[in-house]
Amino acid sequence: MAYVSMGEAHRRITEYLNRFCDAVSYQDSSMLCRLLSFSSNSPSLLSLADALNVFQDASSLIRQSDKFSEYGEILAHLFRSLQSYRVGNLVEAYLAFEKFANAFVQEFRNWESAWALEALYVVCYEVRILAEKADKELTSNGKSPEKLKAAGSLLMKVFGVLAGKGPKRVGALYVTCQLFKTYFKLGTVNLCRSVIRSIETARIFDFEEFPRRDKVTYMYYTGRLEVFNENFPAADTKLSYALQHCNPKRERNIRMILKYLIPVKLSLGVIPKDELLQKYNLHEYMNVVQALRKGDLRLLRHALQEHEDRFLRSGVYLVLEKLELQVYQRLMKKIYIIQKLSDPARAHQLKLEVIAKALRWLEIDMDLDEVECIMTILIYKNLVKGYLAHKSKVVVLSKQDPFPKLNGKPVGS
Amino acid sequence: MHEGCVMNQGGNTQTVAPLDPNPIEKRYGVEGSQVQTSPYQYSTGSDAASWTTHSVDNQVVQQNGNYSNSNYYHPQPPVPATGNVQETSSSTSGTVNVAQDYSAYTPYQTPSDLQNYSNTGYTNYYSGCYQQQQPSQPYTQPVGAYQNTGAPYSSFQNPGSYAGTASYSGTYYNPADYQTTTGGYQSTAYNSQTAGGYVNQTPTSSNQGNYTSNPYQNYTPDAANIHSATTATATPVHYQQNYQQWPGYYSQTEVPCAPGTENLPATSAFSQSFPVAGGVASEMPASNGQPAPSYAQNWRQETDSSQPPPQQPAAAVSASNNAYWMHQTPSQQAHYPVPPQNHYQSPLETKPLYETPIQGHQRATYPQELNSQASIHQAPLGYRQPTQTTPSVDTQRVSKIQIPTNPRIASNLPSGYTKMNKERSPAGATQTPAYVSVSMSNPKGHTSAMPEPGTFPKALCGFVERAFARCKDDKEKASCQAALKKIITQATNDGTINTRDWDIEPLSTVLNTDVTNTESSSAPISSLQNKSPTRRPKSRWEPIVESKPFVKPASTFTSGVKFGGWNHPNVNNKKSSETFQKVDAVTGSKPTYFAQNSAKKSFQRPVKRQRFAGGAIDDEESSDSEKELTPYYSSAMSLASSADEKKRRDSRSKRFEKVQGHSRGNDIPKPKISNVRRGTALRLGEVLDESCGSRAVEDMDWDALTVKGTCQEIEKRYLRLTSAPDPTTVRPEDVLEKALSMVQDSPKNYLYKCDQLKSIRQDLTVQRIHNHLTAKVYETHARFALEAGDLTEYNQCLSQLKILYAEGIEGCTLEFAAYSLLYITLHSNNNRELLSSMSRLSKEAKGDEAVRHALSVRAAVTSGNYVMFFRLYKTAPNMNSCLMDLYVEKMRYKAVTFISRSCRPSIPVSYLAQVLGFAGTSSEGTGEKENDGMEECSEWLKAHGASLIADSNGDMVLDTKASSTSLFMPEPEDAVAHGDRYLDVNDFFTRT
Repeated sequence: MAYVSMGEAHRRITEYLNRFCDAVSYQDSSMLCRLLSFSSNSPSLLSLADALNVFQDASSLIRQSDKFSEYGEILAHLFRSLQSYRVGNLVEAYLAFEKFANAFVQEFRNWESAWALEALYVVCYEVRILAEKADKELTSNGKSPEKLKAAGSLLMKVFGVLAGKGPKRVGALYVTCQLFKTYFKLGTVNLCRSVIRSIETARIFDFEEFPRRDKVTYMYYTGRLEVFNENFPAADTKLSYALQHCNPKRERNIRMILKYLIPVKLSLGVIPKDELLQKYNLHEYMNVVQALRKGDLRLLRHALQEHEDRFLRSGVYLVLEKLELQVYQRLMKKIYIIQKLSDPARAHQLKLEVIAKALRWLEIDMDLDEVECIMTILIYKNLVKGYLAHKSKVVVLSKQDPFPKLNGKPVGS
Repeated sequence: MHEGCVMNQGGNTQTVAPLDPNPIEKRYGVEGSQVQTSPYQYSTGSDAASWTTHSVDNQVVQQNGNYSNSNYYHPQPPVPATGNVQETSSSTSGTVNVAQDYSAYTPYQTPSDLQNYSNTGYTNYYSGCYQQQQPSQPYTQPVGAYQNTGAPYSSFQNPGSYAGTASYSGTYYNPADYQTTTGGYQSTAYNSQTAGGYVNQTPTSSNQGNYTSNPYQNYTPDAANIHSATTATATPVHYQQNYQQWPGYYSQTEVPCAPGTENLPATSAFSQSFPVAGGVASEMPASNGQPAPSYAQNWRQETDSSQPPPQQPAAAVSASNNAYWMHQTPSQQAHYPVPPQNHYQSPLETKPLYETPIQGHQRATYPQELNSQASIHQAPLGYRQPTQTTPSVDTQRVSKIQIPTNPRIASNLPSGYTKMNKERSPAGATQTPAYVSVSMSNPKGHTSAMPEPGTFPKALCGFVERAFARCKDDKEKASCQAALKKIITQATNDGTINTRDWDIEPLSTVLNTDVTNTESSSAPISSLQNKSPTRRPKSRWEPIVESKPFVKPASTFTSGVKFGGWNHPNVNNKKSSETFQKVDAVTGSKPTYFAQNSAKKSFQRPVKRQRFAGGAIDDEESSDSEKELTPYYSSAMSLASSADEKKRRDSRSKRFEKVQGHSRGNDIPKPKISNVRRGTALRLGEVLDESCGSRAVEDMDWDALTVKGTCQEIEKRYLRLTSAPDPTTVRPEDVLEKALSMVQDSPKNYLYKCDQLKSIRQDLTVQRIHNHLTAKVYETHARFALEAGDLTEYNQCLSQLKILYAEGIEGCTLEFAAYSLLYITLHSNNNRELLSSMSRLSKEAKGDEAVRHALSVRAAVTSGNYVMFFRLYKTAPNMNSCLMDLYVEKMRYKAVTFISRSCRPSIPVSYLAQVLGFAGTSSEGTGEKENDGMEECSEWLKAHGASLIADSNGDMVLDTKASSTSLFMPEPEDAVAHGDRYLDVNDFFTRT
């Protein structure tokens, strides 16, 4: 830390105070954002932090003038937070910032217009980021991380401030998205439900009127939730919405969306082009798609095993695993086509023996009972049309469209 | 907590001041003016705080909200109050021409009394809003008590509102208590209410004894019934009404405070009520081993602040009630039936107790309005009886509750310690009669009963009360009485009787002397107990165990002391107060009491808790420890024969001593030593309390309070702790190890094992042992639970194990990882949970056989591969198959629906039997080695609506086409209305 003289420190602090008060009185939202955004690590903020660490009694400065003391609580907490942040004491920084945020929200509530919405966004964002950092610090100290949870409840409070009628409502979706991020990180996804309900049931405000950025984020997260619930059609619409409205230049975001959209589409029977996977660097799905195309069960299993950790973490593992049935279908179809070539008259009779042999070629060992089990499941789920004759151990395929396509409908519907 | 303490102190000071100088009227007027005193500020501040928190609570937590609401609105209920209330009000009002205050007072009383909560709640409210000191103070006291109780149960204390809400905390916590109590409790409460609706309440409440009765009913019923009712009506109006009523109320309440002659009777009456409570309470102290002083303090606070002596008890009661519930329900989870007993225990005894408080009220009223007195007297009489039963219960609870609190509060006491004994005696003599009268239910002599009522300061009476409250027994009482006499005569001789701060006087002196007394007399006492083991009614679950005679350890603290004078008081009572209450008590109260009992009884019997109790059936030879439980069971048994009640109650009150008695065998643990240790612990707590005025419970140094067990018994029944653990009943680690291996090798059934393991777990927890042994115990228990299909217990164990494993304690981590995987896939069926637990598996874990098995089971389940599933079922390692049992039915059903939809035209049953795991799993598989499971399978199929036909070869086949539409999942036969079949003991027996 560069040496800062007392006078210099005093100057910097008063300058900051003046800027802050000006921003508020002129309703200069962008300036306010800059003044609050810790994580930008902007040099002016850093120098202010240094100044604060030199000039310990900043609160007296605030108290000196009526102009400053009007926001005394906000500023005092902000300064303390900034100080701790600069020193690297993130837990302290978070705690002070939380107090600051509370005070700020209180003030925000009193401002009639929504001019400070952007600043509020910054506050929400910073709270979350600081909480995450503080939690990291806590875990490294062997303490239980709980700050993010606290941030979650703070954000919920902010949501409550915004969710009513009026111009401030536009900001509700941003806070919702921050909440989503928090909850997903915490693994308390079920808490999202209440927020979602209040967004989706409120008729006061058309969803389309929210900022696009927030809409995309919102759809992304709700789509992910639907993936968890294995509600594929709903997940498809939400994620597709997100994809359509996502800024095409933001490849990272698009990739994030595709990570979930592709498994969803796959389980609806829609297979992506390889170029798409390549363009967005989604190589983990390459083999899965390939297995689906070829009916190669072994390949699918390998692919799942290979990327198991990744799939488990992102939560698509179970979805991909369910693709097995489609792979079986593909395999049956292949056998059927081959049979048709040799003996078209009896092609619609698939012997279980033959299927077992095909599987054996794929290095998958199954006895007839198991094969029969798989076939009953396939027929039951309407992936294969026909019936199974137990006595003769034969699957009798329907002559019309024995392997119906999913066409965007989930398996088993 | 500390706020509570602070407030209490404030209250004390205040009360003291008013006692001497202020004429009654002054005080009334003062309400507003009193504010100036320091205590006041405290109270207001705290109240306000509590208020706000309270409101917050409402918003956030619905349950809390309800409760709080109930508090709020209680006043209203009076309106609906049934005949009893009206009677009382009318009679009183009619008779009393007095000032508005009075009239206001009467109506108020009845309602308020009815709802203890309401009073308290109101007081708080008002104090907050109107800044009336008095209400708030009485309130605080309960809080303090409550908080103390909370201490042992850290969970309760946690709620944030705690510190702020001195006044409210009592009520606030109620919900928590309530929640914990579980359905059984609620049902009872509801019963009484629903059945009687308000009627039940009103009878009890109408009498001023109401506090006690009310509190009990209040929480649940009020919350439900009252709350709804009240909410509907406009609250503001009510408030105002109440407010107006307040003056009257205050006047009344304050009267007792006034030092005048009349005060004495009031106080004495008040004190009388306590002894009864004391009887009950005594159990707790004994068990807790907490020093008497603390207890005394609690009372003192109440009495001191006693502006409204009747009310205070009520407030205390309400708080205590909650606490009481907390204590009891948790402790008795296994033995549900017990709690009801406590309530009903001894109608006779309770009645007297109850009545006394009422009397106090009346007396209080007298001073104010002489004119009305006569009429008033009679009117009150009428009501009293109904309430009596309930009040006693409440008081009991109160006493219990307060005990836990003691440690904290007690801190102040030591200083006053020595004084106590000396001053007591005269008062004791006089008071005892009063007490007696209570018990006998002949209140007539009220005024007459107190020979020199004018002479004793109220505080002294409170002190005596307290002393008696601690007495369990006649003997104790007697000794206590003697001690008190001595003290009081001395004090009178000294002339210090009026100057001494009785509130601060520690009871311990009295008790200590008692201890010595009892020591000498302990042998006879024990022999008495031993004489009649049979008198203890046998629970239906338990074979009668001959209680072995044992020597009661002298050290048992207060317990020994308390034996004193239950009976004696009664005798005295007869003389003094017979005329008054007799009629009422006999006629009115009993019917209501019984009615309530029966209603509650029927409810409280519910099976769930009994399952553990049921375990007793199996272990006939279970050790002495069972004896402790007998009272519990017995209580469940019979409320009917009231004659036995008292005895039972005695035995119950001694159960903790008995526990100690077990340790007699081992020389090491001299009870005294343990007591000393406990004493130090307590002192430590006090020090903590004092040193940091606002320290939260979480900051307590629990290490210093950790118990080191000395019990050498290997077998021990599980009994939920209702107090601080007693080292003499806690087994040290090496004994626990033996106990564990004993349980593992035991041929007895799961109920027995579960009980034993729970007690082991308790001992581990109490001693804060966290090591491989702990893990082993939980693992063992989890396995047994799995074997018996007791998923609730299994889950408890598993969650503990997770914590233990996370701490790095070694155990069968992989085995239990497999279990939890299976449990998630097969039971909770939560994708996210499954994903996260799968992603947490280490590479090494995935190589483990059990885990691999669990993973393939998961795969089979998610894909619906029934063939694979049942193959895995047969090859399951460890107890995996026990968990898979959960899913077998579903899997079979799934399989048959698949098959009947996909296969044509038919499928042989023999094939199904083989594929669906019927073959070879038959229960009578011992006879024939290879069971094809045909019969079982076809029965199962039929039960699920499949259509079976014989094919050309005469083999049974499943007609798939016909079955595809006719399949259904039958209602499980063991389904029960409440949804948990494990709740049914009989089912449980048949299954284990």
